[in-house]
Amino acid sequence: MAPRQISNRGAGLSAAAWERMTVQPPSMPFEPGPPKQSAYDVLDTECEGWSTDRFTMRAASVRGDSHRWPRRSKPRQDCVRATVYERTGTLVFAVADGVSGAVHSEFGSREACRTAVETLVEQLARGGEIDLGAVVQNAVGRLVELTQWRLGRQPDEAPTTKEVSDLFATTLVTGIVQPTRDGDCFVDLCRVGDSGAWALDRSRAPYDPELYTPLFATKTGAGKKFVSNRVAALPQLPAELERVQTQLAQRETLLIGTDGFGDPLGDGDGEFGAMFAEQLHTPPAPLWFAHVLDFSRETFDDDRTLLAVWPLRGQR
Amino acid sequence: MPDVKGVLLPAYVLADESGSMGPYRRELSDGLLSLCEALRAEPMIAAKLRLAVLGFSEDVQVRLAIADMRTETTVPQVTIRGVTNYGAVFNDLLYRIPADVQWLRGQGYKVHRPVVFFLSDGQPTDGNGWRTTHATLVDKAQTPAAPNIISCGIGDAKPATMIDVATSEQFAFVARPGVSIGAAISEFFAALVSSLVESGQALNTANPTLVVNRPDQFTMAIDEV
Repeated sequence: MAPRQISNRGAGLSAAAWERMTVQPPSMPFEPGPPKQSAYDVLDTECEGWSTDRFTMRAASVRGDSHRWPRRSKPRQDCVRATVYERTGTLVFAVADGVSGAVHSEFGSREACRTAVETLVEQLARGGEIDLGAVVQNAVGRLVELTQWRLGRQPDEAPTTKEVSDLFATTLVTGIVQPTRDGDCFVDLCRVGDSGAWALDRSRAPYDPELYTPLFATKTGAGKKFVSNRVAALPQLPAELERVQTQLAQRETLLIGTDGFGDPLGDGDGEFGAMFAEQLHTPPAPLWFAHVLDFSRETFDDDRTLLAVWPLRGQR
Repeated sequence: MPDVKGVLLPAYVLADESGSMGPYRRELSDGLLSLCEALRAEPMIAAKLRLAVLGFSEDVQVRLAIADMRTETTVPQVTIRGVTNYGAVFNDLLYRIPADVQWLRGQGYKVHRPVVFFLSDGQPTDGNGWRTTHATLVDKAQTPAAPNIISCGIGDAKPATMIDVATSEQFAFVARPGVSIGAAISEFFAALVSSLVESGQALNTANPTLVVNRPDQFTMAIDEV
Protein backbone atom coordinates (compact mmCIF):
# COMPACT_ATOMS: atom_id res chain seq x y z
CA MET A 1 0.00 0.00 0.00
CA ALA A 2 1.33 3.40 -0.87
CA PRO A 3 2.11 5.65 2.08
CA ARG A 4 -0.45 8.29 2.92
CA GLN A 5 0.17 11.73 1.61
CA ILE A 6 1.65 13.88 4.36
CA SER A 7 0.59 17.48 4.61
CA ASN A 8 3.29 19.94 3.67
CA ARG A 9 1.72 22.69 5.72
CA GLY A 10 4.42 24.68 7.48
CA ALA A 11 7.14 23.59 5.07
CA GLY A 12 7.45 27.14 3.83
CA LEU A 13 8.18 28.52 7.28
CA SER A 14 11.76 29.53 7.86
CA ALA A 15 13.64 27.16 10.14
CA ALA A 16 15.79 30.14 11.07
CA ALA A 17 12.88 31.52 13.08
CA TRP A 18 13.40 28.67 15.57
CA GLU A 19 17.17 28.88 15.81
CA ARG A 20 18.23 29.36 19.40
CA MET A 21 18.21 32.94 20.57
CA THR A 22 21.75 34.00 21.28
CA VAL A 23 23.37 36.33 23.74
CA GLN A 24 27.00 36.76 22.75
CA PRO A 25 29.13 34.75 22.97
CA PRO A 26 26.94 31.75 21.98
CA SER A 27 27.50 28.17 23.12
CA MET A 28 28.49 25.59 20.52
CA PRO A 29 25.67 23.73 18.74
CA PHE A 30 25.41 19.94 19.09
CA GLU A 31 22.83 17.15 19.03
CA PRO A 32 21.80 16.24 22.61
CA GLY A 33 22.34 12.82 24.12
CA PRO A 34 19.53 10.84 25.75
CA PRO A 35 18.88 11.25 29.47
CA LYS A 36 19.56 8.23 31.65
CA GLN A 37 17.41 5.15 31.03
CA SER A 38 15.19 5.57 34.09
CA ALA A 39 14.33 9.19 33.27
CA TYR A 40 12.31 8.62 30.10
CA ASP A 41 9.38 10.63 31.41
CA VAL A 42 11.49 13.66 32.30
CA LEU A 43 11.26 15.52 29.01
CA ASP A 44 13.95 17.81 27.63
CA THR A 45 11.54 20.76 27.64
CA GLU A 46 8.11 21.36 29.06
CA CYS A 47 6.00 24.47 28.87
CA GLU A 48 2.63 25.69 29.99
CA GLY A 49 0.54 28.81 29.59
CA TRP A 50 -2.96 30.06 30.31
CA SER A 51 -4.91 33.04 31.53
CA THR A 52 -7.68 33.77 34.00
CA ASP A 53 -9.57 37.05 33.93
CA ARG A 54 -6.98 38.48 36.35
CA PHE A 55 -3.59 37.30 35.15
CA THR A 56 -1.70 35.52 32.41
CA MET A 57 0.80 32.81 33.31
CA ARG A 58 3.63 31.29 31.30
CA ALA A 59 6.03 28.64 32.57
CA ALA A 60 8.79 26.58 31.00
CA SER A 61 11.59 24.30 32.10
CA VAL A 62 14.42 23.52 29.69
CA ARG A 63 17.33 21.08 29.94
CA GLY A 64 20.67 22.88 29.96
CA ASP A 65 23.49 22.11 27.55
CA SER A 66 25.59 20.57 30.33
CA HIS A 67 22.90 17.90 30.71
CA ARG A 68 22.37 17.54 26.96
CA TRP A 69 26.07 16.97 26.22
CA PRO A 70 26.19 13.42 24.80
CA ARG A 71 29.11 12.07 26.84
CA ARG A 72 27.51 12.97 30.15
CA SER A 73 23.87 13.50 29.29
CA LYS A 74 21.42 13.59 32.18
CA PRO A 75 17.74 14.42 32.52
CA ARG A 76 16.57 17.92 33.27
CA GLN A 77 16.74 18.41 37.05
CA ASP A 78 14.65 21.60 37.20
CA CYS A 79 10.89 21.56 37.53
CA VAL A 80 7.95 23.98 37.56
CA ARG A 81 4.33 23.35 38.50
CA ALA A 82 1.42 25.79 38.70
CA THR A 83 -2.33 25.67 39.08
CA VAL A 84 -5.17 28.01 39.90
CA TYR A 85 -7.22 27.70 43.07
CA GLU A 86 -10.54 28.10 41.36
CA ARG A 87 -12.68 29.49 44.18
CA THR A 88 -10.59 32.67 44.51
CA GLY A 89 -8.68 32.64 41.22
CA THR A 90 -5.37 32.43 43.09
CA LEU A 91 -2.29 31.23 41.24
CA VAL A 92 -0.36 28.58 43.14
CA PHE A 93 3.15 27.81 41.93
CA ALA A 94 6.40 26.03 42.71
CA VAL A 95 9.80 26.11 40.98
CA ALA A 96 12.61 23.73 41.96
CA ASP A 97 16.19 23.03 40.95
CA GLY A 98 17.35 19.50 41.76
CA VAL A 99 20.89 19.47 43.14
CA SER A 100 23.07 17.85 40.50
CA GLY A 101 25.02 15.83 43.07
CA ALA A 102 21.85 14.03 44.19
CA VAL A 103 21.28 10.71 42.44
CA HIS A 104 17.61 11.30 41.55
CA SER A 105 17.34 15.07 41.78
CA GLU A 106 15.02 15.11 38.76
CA PHE A 107 12.44 13.32 40.90
CA GLY A 108 13.30 15.35 44.01
CA SER A 109 12.51 18.63 42.26
CA ARG A 110 9.29 17.27 40.74
CA GLU A 111 7.98 15.82 44.00
CA ALA A 112 8.88 18.98 45.94
CA CYS A 113 6.91 21.06 43.41
CA ARG A 114 3.90 18.76 43.42
CA THR A 115 3.78 18.57 47.21
CA ALA A 116 4.13 22.34 47.57
CA VAL A 117 1.33 23.05 45.09
CA GLU A 118 -0.99 20.46 46.61
CA THR A 119 -0.34 21.71 50.15
CA LEU A 120 -0.99 25.31 49.18
CA VAL A 121 -4.26 24.39 47.50
CA GLU A 122 -5.34 22.53 50.66
CA GLN A 123 -4.42 25.53 52.79
CA LEU A 124 -6.35 27.91 50.53
CA ALA A 125 -9.37 25.61 50.70
CA ARG A 126 -9.24 25.74 54.50
CA GLY A 127 -9.17 29.55 54.43
CA GLY A 128 -7.13 31.97 56.49
CA GLU A 129 -3.43 32.78 56.16
CA ILE A 130 -1.26 30.40 54.21
CA ASP A 131 1.57 28.73 56.14
CA LEU A 132 4.61 28.55 53.85
CA GLY A 133 6.70 26.96 56.60
CA ALA A 134 4.27 24.03 56.64
CA VAL A 135 4.40 23.87 52.83
CA VAL A 136 8.17 23.46 52.88
CA GLN A 137 7.95 20.95 55.73
CA ASN A 138 5.49 18.87 53.69
CA ALA A 139 7.86 18.94 50.72
CA VAL A 140 10.63 17.62 52.97
CA GLY A 141 8.25 14.96 54.29
CA ARG A 142 7.58 13.80 50.74
CA LEU A 143 11.32 13.53 50.02
CA VAL A 144 11.72 11.49 53.22
CA GLU A 145 8.89 9.15 52.11
CA LEU A 146 10.49 8.71 48.71
CA THR A 147 13.83 7.90 50.31
CA GLN A 148 12.23 5.34 52.60
CA TRP A 149 10.64 3.67 49.60
CA ARG A 150 13.80 3.91 47.49
CA LEU A 151 15.98 2.37 50.22
CA GLY A 152 13.40 -0.31 51.06
CA ARG A 153 13.08 0.86 54.66
CA GLN A 154 10.34 -0.06 57.08
CA PRO A 155 8.00 2.77 58.10
CA ASP A 156 9.70 3.09 61.48
CA GLU A 157 13.19 3.28 59.94
CA ALA A 158 13.50 6.95 59.15
CA PRO A 159 16.32 7.80 56.71
CA THR A 160 18.96 10.30 57.74
CA THR A 161 19.00 13.81 56.31
CA LYS A 162 22.13 12.85 54.38
CA GLU A 163 20.43 9.84 52.83
CA VAL A 164 17.53 12.01 51.69
CA SER A 165 19.90 14.69 50.44
CA ASP A 166 22.08 12.21 48.53
CA LEU A 167 19.05 10.98 46.59
CA PHE A 168 16.63 13.90 46.21
CA ALA A 169 18.14 17.26 47.28
CA THR A 170 16.45 20.22 45.62
CA THR A 171 15.94 23.96 45.95
CA LEU A 172 12.37 25.29 46.11
CA VAL A 173 10.56 28.58 45.52
CA THR A 174 6.85 28.38 46.16
CA GLY A 175 3.92 30.65 46.86
CA ILE A 176 0.77 32.29 45.56
CA VAL A 177 -0.34 35.23 43.43
CA GLN A 178 -3.65 36.54 44.75
CA PRO A 179 -5.57 39.04 42.60
CA THR A 180 -6.76 41.97 44.73
CA ARG A 181 -9.93 44.06 44.44
CA ASP A 182 -8.00 47.13 43.26
CA GLY A 183 -6.73 45.29 40.20
CA ASP A 184 -3.21 44.52 41.38
CA CYS A 185 -1.89 41.19 42.61
CA PHE A 186 -0.64 40.25 46.05
CA VAL A 187 2.39 37.95 45.96
CA ASP A 188 3.43 35.77 48.89
CA LEU A 189 6.35 33.41 48.38
CA CYS A 190 9.29 31.76 50.08
CA ARG A 191 12.44 29.95 49.05
CA VAL A 192 15.03 27.42 50.17
CA GLY A 193 18.24 27.59 48.15
CA ASP A 194 19.45 29.88 45.40
CA SER A 195 16.53 29.98 42.96
CA GLY A 196 15.20 33.51 42.61
CA ALA A 197 12.31 35.87 42.00
CA TRP A 198 12.16 39.26 40.30
CA ALA A 199 9.66 41.97 39.39
CA LEU A 200 10.20 43.04 35.77
CA ASP A 201 9.07 46.65 35.33
CA ARG A 202 7.84 46.74 31.72
CA SER A 203 7.52 50.53 31.78
CA ARG A 204 11.31 50.90 32.00
CA ALA A 205 13.71 50.95 29.09
CA PRO A 206 16.16 48.12 28.37
CA TYR A 207 19.47 48.45 30.28
CA ASP A 208 17.75 50.49 33.00
CA PRO A 209 19.37 49.43 36.31
CA GLU A 210 15.91 49.14 37.87
CA LEU A 211 14.38 47.10 35.05
CA TYR A 212 14.49 43.97 37.26
CA THR A 213 13.98 44.19 41.02
CA PRO A 214 15.15 41.03 42.81
CA LEU A 215 12.74 39.89 45.49
CA PHE A 216 15.44 37.81 47.20
CA ALA A 217 19.17 38.52 47.62
CA THR A 218 21.12 37.41 44.51
CA LYS A 219 24.42 35.51 44.46
CA THR A 220 26.04 37.24 41.48
CA GLY A 221 24.92 40.79 42.01
CA ALA A 222 27.28 43.74 41.79
CA GLY A 223 29.83 43.94 44.56
CA LYS A 224 30.31 40.19 44.99
CA LYS A 225 34.05 39.52 44.58
CA PHE A 226 33.89 35.76 44.16
CA VAL A 227 31.01 33.60 43.10
CA SER A 228 29.85 30.88 45.43
CA ASN A 229 27.46 28.14 44.43
CA ARG A 230 27.28 26.66 47.91
CA VAL A 231 23.53 26.63 48.60
CA ALA A 232 21.05 25.29 51.05
CA ALA A 233 18.65 22.77 49.57
CA LEU A 234 15.84 20.57 50.83
CA PRO A 235 15.73 18.42 52.91
CA GLN A 236 17.89 20.85 54.86
CA LEU A 237 15.97 23.83 56.15
CA PRO A 238 17.39 27.25 57.01
CA ALA A 239 17.03 28.54 60.55
CA GLU A 240 14.65 31.17 59.18
CA LEU A 241 12.68 30.72 55.97
CA GLU A 242 13.22 33.51 53.41
CA ARG A 243 9.75 34.88 52.75
CA VAL A 244 8.61 37.86 50.67
CA GLN A 245 5.19 39.52 50.48
CA THR A 246 4.69 42.23 47.89
CA GLN A 247 2.18 43.86 45.56
CA LEU A 248 2.57 43.34 41.82
CA ALA A 249 1.56 46.43 39.85
CA GLN A 250 -0.05 46.32 36.39
CA ARG A 251 3.21 47.44 34.77
CA GLU A 252 5.14 44.60 36.41
CA THR A 253 5.67 40.96 35.51
CA LEU A 254 6.52 38.53 38.28
CA LEU A 255 9.38 36.17 37.39
CA ILE A 256 10.28 33.05 39.37
CA GLY A 257 13.40 31.31 38.07
CA THR A 258 16.16 28.86 38.83
CA ASP A 259 19.81 29.94 38.70
CA GLY A 260 19.99 28.80 35.06
CA PHE A 261 18.04 32.00 34.40
CA GLY A 262 19.20 34.08 37.38
CA ASP A 263 22.95 33.70 36.84
CA PRO A 264 23.05 35.08 33.28
CA LEU A 265 20.48 37.74 34.24
CA GLY A 266 22.78 39.10 36.95
CA ASP A 267 21.60 42.62 37.75
CA GLY A 268 19.36 42.55 34.67
CA ASP A 269 20.79 45.70 33.11
CA GLY A 270 22.74 44.03 30.32
CA GLU A 271 22.02 42.44 26.94
CA PHE A 272 20.48 39.31 28.48
CA GLY A 273 18.07 41.30 30.64
CA ALA A 274 17.16 43.49 27.67
CA MET A 275 16.39 40.47 25.49
CA PHE A 276 14.06 38.95 28.08
CA ALA A 277 12.39 42.30 28.80
CA GLU A 278 11.67 42.70 25.09
CA GLN A 279 10.39 39.13 24.69
CA LEU A 280 8.23 39.33 27.83
CA HIS A 281 6.80 42.81 27.23
CA THR A 282 3.54 41.05 26.41
CA PRO A 283 2.87 37.37 27.11
CA PRO A 284 4.35 35.27 24.28
CA ALA A 285 2.91 31.96 23.13
CA PRO A 286 3.92 29.21 25.60
CA LEU A 287 6.09 27.44 23.01
CA TRP A 288 7.88 30.70 22.22
CA PHE A 289 8.35 31.35 25.94
CA ALA A 290 10.18 28.01 26.20
CA HIS A 291 12.14 28.83 23.05
CA VAL A 292 13.38 32.11 24.53
CA LEU A 293 14.37 30.29 27.70
CA ASP A 294 16.41 27.86 25.57
CA PHE A 295 18.81 30.73 24.90
CA SER A 296 22.38 30.06 23.86
CA ARG A 297 25.16 31.70 25.84
CA GLU A 298 28.66 30.37 26.44
CA THR A 299 29.32 28.96 29.94
CA PHE A 300 25.66 29.32 30.97
CA ASP A 301 24.73 25.68 30.42
CA ASP A 302 22.67 24.79 33.49
CA ASP A 303 18.98 23.79 33.33
CA ARG A 304 16.82 26.87 33.23
CA THR A 305 13.25 27.28 34.48
CA LEU A 306 11.07 30.35 34.53
CA LEU A 307 7.51 31.14 35.55
CA ALA A 308 6.10 34.55 34.59
CA VAL A 309 2.89 36.25 35.67
CA TRP A 310 1.31 39.32 34.03
CA PRO A 311 -1.55 40.92 36.02
CA LEU A 312 -4.69 41.70 34.05
CA ARG A 313 -7.37 44.20 35.00
CA GLY A 314 -10.40 42.32 33.75
CA GLN A 315 -9.16 42.49 30.17
CA ARG A 316 -9.94 38.98 29.13
CA MET B 1 26.60 47.78 32.88
CA PRO B 2 27.50 45.02 30.39
CA ASP B 3 26.39 41.45 31.06
CA VAL B 4 28.62 39.03 32.88
CA LYS B 5 30.18 37.01 30.02
CA GLY B 6 30.48 33.92 32.17
CA VAL B 7 31.79 32.57 35.42
CA LEU B 8 35.28 31.10 35.18
CA LEU B 9 37.47 28.85 37.31
CA PRO B 10 41.16 29.85 37.03
CA ALA B 11 43.33 26.74 37.46
CA TYR B 12 47.11 26.69 37.95
CA VAL B 13 49.31 23.66 37.49
CA LEU B 14 52.61 23.96 39.36
CA ALA B 15 55.10 21.41 38.02
CA ASP B 16 58.33 20.71 39.86
CA GLU B 17 61.19 21.10 37.33
CA SER B 18 64.04 20.55 39.82
CA GLY B 19 67.00 18.38 38.85
CA SER B 20 65.65 15.28 40.56
CA MET B 21 62.71 15.29 38.11
CA GLY B 22 65.15 14.80 35.23
CA PRO B 23 64.48 11.09 34.71
CA TYR B 24 60.73 11.81 34.54
CA ARG B 25 60.74 14.67 32.08
CA ARG B 26 58.92 12.53 29.53
CA GLU B 27 56.10 11.68 31.96
CA LEU B 28 55.75 15.37 32.85
CA SER B 29 55.57 16.38 29.18
CA ASP B 30 53.14 13.57 28.33
CA GLY B 31 50.97 14.53 31.28
CA LEU B 32 50.76 18.15 30.17
CA LEU B 33 49.97 17.05 26.61
CA SER B 34 47.16 14.76 27.81
CA LEU B 35 45.78 17.59 29.96
CA CYS B 36 45.66 19.95 26.96
CA GLU B 37 44.11 17.30 24.71
CA ALA B 38 41.50 16.33 27.31
CA LEU B 39 40.36 19.94 27.70
CA ARG B 40 40.21 20.47 23.94
CA ALA B 41 37.96 17.40 23.74
CA GLU B 42 35.63 18.98 26.32
CA PRO B 43 34.88 22.41 24.88
CA MET B 44 31.91 23.09 27.14
CA ILE B 45 34.02 22.37 30.22
CA ALA B 46 37.04 24.22 28.83
CA ALA B 47 34.85 27.28 28.22
CA LYS B 48 34.44 27.58 31.98
CA LEU B 49 38.13 27.18 32.85
CA ARG B 50 41.27 29.20 32.32
CA LEU B 51 44.47 27.18 32.69
CA ALA B 52 48.00 28.26 33.53
CA VAL B 53 51.06 25.98 33.73
CA LEU B 54 54.06 27.11 35.75
CA GLY B 55 57.37 25.28 36.10
CA PHE B 56 59.28 25.83 39.31
CA SER B 57 62.74 25.14 40.70
CA GLU B 58 64.88 28.01 42.04
CA ASP B 59 62.40 30.32 40.34
CA VAL B 60 59.07 30.13 38.52
CA GLN B 61 58.88 30.13 34.75
CA VAL B 62 55.65 30.47 32.78
CA ARG B 63 55.05 27.45 30.54
CA LEU B 64 51.51 28.54 29.70
CA ALA B 65 50.11 31.93 30.67
CA ILE B 66 46.49 31.74 31.76
CA ALA B 67 44.68 30.57 28.64
CA ASP B 68 41.41 29.44 27.10
CA MET B 69 42.26 25.85 26.16
CA ARG B 70 39.70 25.75 23.36
CA THR B 71 41.84 28.12 21.35
CA GLU B 72 45.33 27.55 22.77
CA THR B 73 47.46 25.80 20.15
CA THR B 74 50.78 25.36 21.98
CA VAL B 75 51.63 22.60 24.43
CA PRO B 76 53.57 23.68 27.52
CA GLN B 77 57.16 22.43 27.56
CA VAL B 78 59.04 21.75 30.81
CA THR B 79 62.74 22.46 31.40
CA ILE B 80 64.55 20.49 34.10
CA ARG B 81 66.78 22.75 36.16
CA GLY B 82 67.97 23.70 39.69
CA VAL B 83 66.59 23.09 43.15
CA THR B 84 63.15 23.00 44.79
CA ASN B 85 62.38 26.47 46.08
CA TYR B 86 58.83 26.51 47.45
CA GLY B 87 59.15 30.18 48.43
CA ALA B 88 59.57 31.16 44.79
CA VAL B 89 56.31 29.37 43.96
CA PHE B 90 54.14 31.04 46.57
CA ASN B 91 55.74 34.44 46.04
CA ASP B 92 54.94 34.18 42.33
CA LEU B 93 51.34 33.09 42.97
CA LEU B 94 50.87 35.88 45.51
CA TYR B 95 51.18 38.40 42.68
CA ARG B 96 50.14 36.34 39.67
CA ILE B 97 46.73 35.14 40.87
CA PRO B 98 45.28 38.54 41.88
CA ALA B 99 46.58 40.03 38.62
CA ASP B 100 45.00 37.23 36.55
CA VAL B 101 41.71 37.52 38.44
CA GLN B 102 41.68 41.27 37.88
CA TRP B 103 42.38 40.74 34.18
CA LEU B 104 39.57 38.19 33.80
CA ARG B 105 37.16 40.55 35.55
CA GLY B 106 38.26 43.27 33.20
CA GLN B 107 37.28 40.96 30.34
CA GLY B 108 33.74 40.85 31.75
CA TYR B 109 33.86 37.53 33.64
CA LYS B 110 32.95 36.64 37.17
CA VAL B 111 35.51 34.41 38.83
CA HIS B 112 35.31 31.36 41.06
CA ARG B 113 37.99 31.00 43.72
CA PRO B 114 41.15 29.92 41.85
CA VAL B 115 42.58 26.44 42.29
CA VAL B 116 46.25 25.40 42.33
CA PHE B 117 47.46 21.85 41.62
CA PHE B 118 50.95 21.54 43.12
CA LEU B 119 53.20 18.61 42.18
CA SER B 120 56.63 18.14 43.79
CA ASP B 121 59.08 15.30 44.18
CA GLY B 122 61.12 16.80 46.99
CA GLN B 123 61.30 18.68 50.22
CA PRO B 124 61.72 22.45 49.93
CA THR B 125 65.36 23.45 49.61
CA ASP B 126 64.54 26.81 51.18
CA GLY B 127 63.71 25.21 54.55
CA ASN B 128 60.84 27.03 56.24
CA GLY B 129 61.43 30.20 54.27
CA TRP B 130 58.30 29.64 52.19
CA ARG B 131 55.83 29.46 55.04
CA THR B 132 55.28 33.20 55.58
CA THR B 133 54.55 33.84 51.92
CA HIS B 134 52.32 30.75 51.75
CA ALA B 135 50.37 31.93 54.79
CA THR B 136 49.77 35.31 53.15
CA LEU B 137 48.73 33.66 49.88
CA VAL B 138 46.05 31.46 51.46
CA ASP B 139 44.73 34.04 53.93
CA LYS B 140 41.51 35.39 52.40
CA ALA B 141 41.72 38.53 54.57
CA GLN B 142 45.11 39.46 53.12
CA THR B 143 44.63 37.94 49.68
CA PRO B 144 40.97 38.12 48.57
CA ALA B 145 41.80 35.89 45.58
CA ALA B 146 43.41 33.28 47.88
CA PRO B 147 43.39 29.96 45.98
CA ASN B 148 42.45 26.45 47.04
CA ILE B 149 45.67 24.44 46.85
CA ILE B 150 45.78 20.71 46.10
CA SER B 151 49.21 19.22 46.79
CA CYS B 152 50.60 15.93 45.48
CA GLY B 153 53.91 14.65 46.75
CA ILE B 154 56.05 12.04 45.03
CA GLY B 155 59.57 10.77 45.65
CA ASP B 156 61.12 12.50 48.65
CA ALA B 157 58.18 14.83 49.36
CA LYS B 158 56.93 14.23 52.90
CA PRO B 159 53.26 13.94 53.91
CA ALA B 160 53.60 16.64 56.56
CA THR B 161 54.91 19.09 53.99
CA MET B 162 52.10 18.32 51.54
CA ILE B 163 49.55 18.89 54.32
CA ASP B 164 51.13 22.26 55.07
CA VAL B 165 51.06 23.26 51.39
CA ALA B 166 47.44 22.21 50.79
CA THR B 167 44.60 24.42 51.98
CA SER B 168 42.73 21.43 53.40
CA GLU B 169 43.92 18.05 54.67
CA GLN B 170 41.52 16.49 52.16
CA PHE B 171 43.50 18.19 49.39
CA ALA B 172 46.91 16.68 50.34
CA PHE B 173 48.12 13.46 48.70
CA VAL B 174 51.33 11.42 48.57
CA ALA B 175 52.23 8.53 46.28
CA ARG B 176 52.02 5.07 47.86
CA PRO B 177 55.39 3.65 48.90
CA GLY B 178 56.95 1.61 46.09
CA VAL B 179 55.03 3.31 43.28
CA SER B 180 57.37 4.49 40.55
CA ILE B 181 57.66 8.25 40.25
CA GLY B 182 56.88 8.10 36.53
CA ALA B 183 53.65 6.22 37.13
CA ALA B 184 52.72 8.62 39.94
CA ILE B 185 53.20 11.62 37.65
CA SER B 186 50.91 10.04 35.05
CA GLU B 187 48.27 9.37 37.71
CA PHE B 188 48.58 12.95 38.96
CA PHE B 189 47.66 14.28 35.53
CA ALA B 190 44.81 11.79 35.11
CA ALA B 191 43.31 12.93 38.42
CA LEU B 192 43.93 16.56 37.48
CA VAL B 193 41.93 16.13 34.26
CA SER B 194 39.02 14.40 36.00
CA SER B 195 39.01 16.98 38.81
CA LEU B 196 38.89 19.85 36.33
CA VAL B 197 36.19 18.20 34.20
CA GLU B 198 34.01 17.39 37.20
CA SER B 199 34.58 20.82 38.72
CA GLY B 200 33.69 22.35 35.35
CA GLN B 201 30.45 20.36 35.36
CA ALA B 202 29.68 21.45 38.91
CA LEU B 203 30.16 25.13 38.13
CA ASN B 204 26.96 27.11 37.56
CA THR B 205 24.90 24.46 39.32
CA ALA B 206 23.41 24.27 42.77
CA ASN B 207 26.44 22.23 43.83
CA PRO B 208 29.70 23.10 45.59
CA THR B 209 32.23 24.15 43.00
CA LEU B 210 35.47 22.26 43.48
CA VAL B 211 35.80 18.52 42.89
CA VAL B 212 39.15 16.99 43.89
CA ASN B 213 39.82 13.42 42.86
CA ARG B 214 42.57 11.46 44.56
CA PRO B 215 45.08 10.20 42.01
CA ASP B 216 45.32 6.42 41.73
CA GLN B 217 48.43 5.11 43.48
CA PHE B 218 48.21 8.06 45.90
CA THR B 219 46.91 8.14 49.45
CA MET B 220 45.67 11.05 51.43
CA ALA B 221 48.71 12.52 53.17
CA ILE B 222 48.69 11.72 56.90
CA ASP B 223 51.11 13.47 59.14
CA GLU B 224 53.31 11.38 61.44
CA VAL B 225 53.35 12.30 65.10
